[in-house]
Amino acid sequence: MPLLEIEDLMVTFDTADGDVHAVNGLTFNIDKGETLAIVGESGSGKSQTAFAAMGLLAKNGRATGVARFDGNDLLAMSQKDFNKIRSKDMAMIFQDPMTSLNPYLRVSDQMAEVLMLHNGISKSQAVTEAVRMLDAVRIPDARARVTMYPHEFSGGMRQRIMIAMSLLCQPRLLIADEPTTALDVTVQAQIMQLLGDIRQDFGTAVILITHDLGVVAGFCDRTLVMYGGQIMEEGTTEGIFGNPTHPYTSGLLKAVPRLDVDEGELVTIAGEPPDMSNLPKGCPFSPRCPVQLENCRGERPPLETHDGRRRSCHLAVSEVA
Amino acid sequence: MLSFVIRRLAVAIPTLLILVVLSFILMYAAPGGPFNSERPLPPEVLANIEAKYGLDQPFWRQIVNYVVSVVTQFDFGPSFQYKDRSVNDVIAQGFPVTLTYGFWSFVVAVTVGVSLGVAAAIKQNSWIDYFAVGVSIGAQVLPNFVMAPILLLIFTLWLGWLPGGGWNGGQWQFLIMPVIALSTSYMASIARITRSSMLEVLNTNFIRTAIAKGLPMRRVIWRHAMKPTILPVLSYLGPAFVGMITGSVIIDVFFSTGGIGQFFVNSAFNRDYSVIMGITILVGTLTILFNLVVDILYAWIDPKIRY
Repeated sequence: MPLLEIEDLMVTFDTADGDVHAVNGLTFNIDKGETLAIVGESGSGKSQTAFAAMGLLAKNGRATGVARFDGNDLLAMSQKDFNKIRSKDMAMIFQDPMTSLNPYLRVSDQMAEVLMLHNGISKSQAVTEAVRMLDAVRIPDARARVTMYPHEFSGGMRQRIMIAMSLLCQPRLLIADEPTTALDVTVQAQIMQLLGDIRQDFGTAVILITHDLGVVAGFCDRTLVMYGGQIMEEGTTEGIFGNPTHPYTSGLLKAVPRLDVDEGELVTIAGEPPDMSNLPKGCPFSPRCPVQLENCRGERPPLETHDGRRRSCHLAVSEVA
Repeated sequence: MLSFVIRRLAVAIPTLLILVVLSFILMYAAPGGPFNSERPLPPEVLANIEAKYGLDQPFWRQIVNYVVSVVTQFDFGPSFQYKDRSVNDVIAQGFPVTLTYGFWSFVVAVTVGVSLGVAAAIKQNSWIDYFAVGVSIGAQVLPNFVMAPILLLIFTLWLGWLPGGGWNGGQWQFLIMPVIALSTSYMASIARITRSSMLEVLNTNFIRTAIAKGLPMRRVIWRHAMKPTILPVLSYLGPAFVGMITGSVIIDVFFSTGGIGQFFVNSAFNRDYSVIMGITILVGTLTILFNLVVDILYAWIDPKIRY
């Protein structure tokens, strides 16, 4: 049984301008200990997928479909049962470490309450455990610094604290929502290194949500490419990067700037991201796609599985440039 | 922190001096005097009385004398209106009354206001929210000079449950109506500030983190959201507390409570210079003091603030 099963997930937001469809029929699995990258540009629905799975959607958001963790349907679960899973079995770290920790509480209190809640241990035991975890994420002098407040740490350190906090109960799944986006490049590398080590040491399955393909390459077993709240293509990271079979994926890869090839100017994908309240009837990428077949705009391409690879495109694999 | 408090108290001294001088000038500039009346006194008598109270001396001399006696002897001088009573007597009589109903008004306004605001924010757009918003708007638009006679009409005249006025040493029956009348508009403001502050806090990333940790909602609210929610409320509470414990002439007039609110207004009408000065200094001192208390509480709640 897969650890997390997402089946035909739809996320809709009720706004003043009508319904916004952030995720439209998304299906994927992640197994124990596996790492999956969800890649896509802003507004592709990747973060909302994670929020739906964690039960963190904004008040006007609604998730339908199935999200099963360990066989239990998260979308049908009571808050009380959900709270037993959150952070204990399934944890999440967020994009902005500067604002994700409570500025009014000591790090020790914020970390200890997780263990006191889920493992029922005493405060002093919990703090000892928290220090051990801060050591593991390489916070220097953790014993002394654990009683400090978040503003006394740098952005990279705060993300380390978030990671340490999310790992306290040794969850089986860690969802990392753009964990390095807000950090500068050298710190990004350190955080990714840390996440890699953690995956090995704890055997935690990781869903890495990012728009940064460079971050994905060395880290994830599988990669899922999203656009307009739908899967464009999914496969092994090697396969996706080495042999993209979807025009959107090829476009994304071409848009990664390279130092070793002199391209003159930056390559971009022409056009605008889709309007999620008014998606095209056919393939969501069709208005921007360099390939224009006659049924692209009128008919949504089915998601086909082929050689362990899933893709949603009318163009035959053999014809992808 | 200690040096901050000392610094602030040191700044308070010139502030109070400026307050004294300004109020003194304003009073001096106002036409008439404490001993002007419908039937003018014979000039000799007037001159005599004015000499007794030092009003015949030049302006600067009066100010200096006043400040010296306040600072060195804590003596605010005799009342010009109430014979044989000093300002200290007037304040000693009126202030405990005001302090009592003001304090209870504060307790009621904060408890009810914060609870309503928090409940409304947690259940945003539910009937609880609409009820809380409705109550606070209602309480806000109902000034206490309307509120007081309505209360009297209902509880004294119609139901006969509560005495229509008086103080009686602050027995609870005599306290209820003044407290309700004084606290409602403050309560409404506190509820509104609390609600919008809580709504803002509930949308922050660190609240999302707290929920993602699996904490029950009650704990998320009390432990993670309450401190940041209360900060903007706190800056309102400093002046509001002073406003309540220094009372209101409306309350004193409608419920015959005999607090300093009434003395203050009467003394202004009567040009009872020393009483006006005494109460002005009292309110000024309390304002400075409680703004300082608010600043200290701020630093206590928000770890980013260090003095």
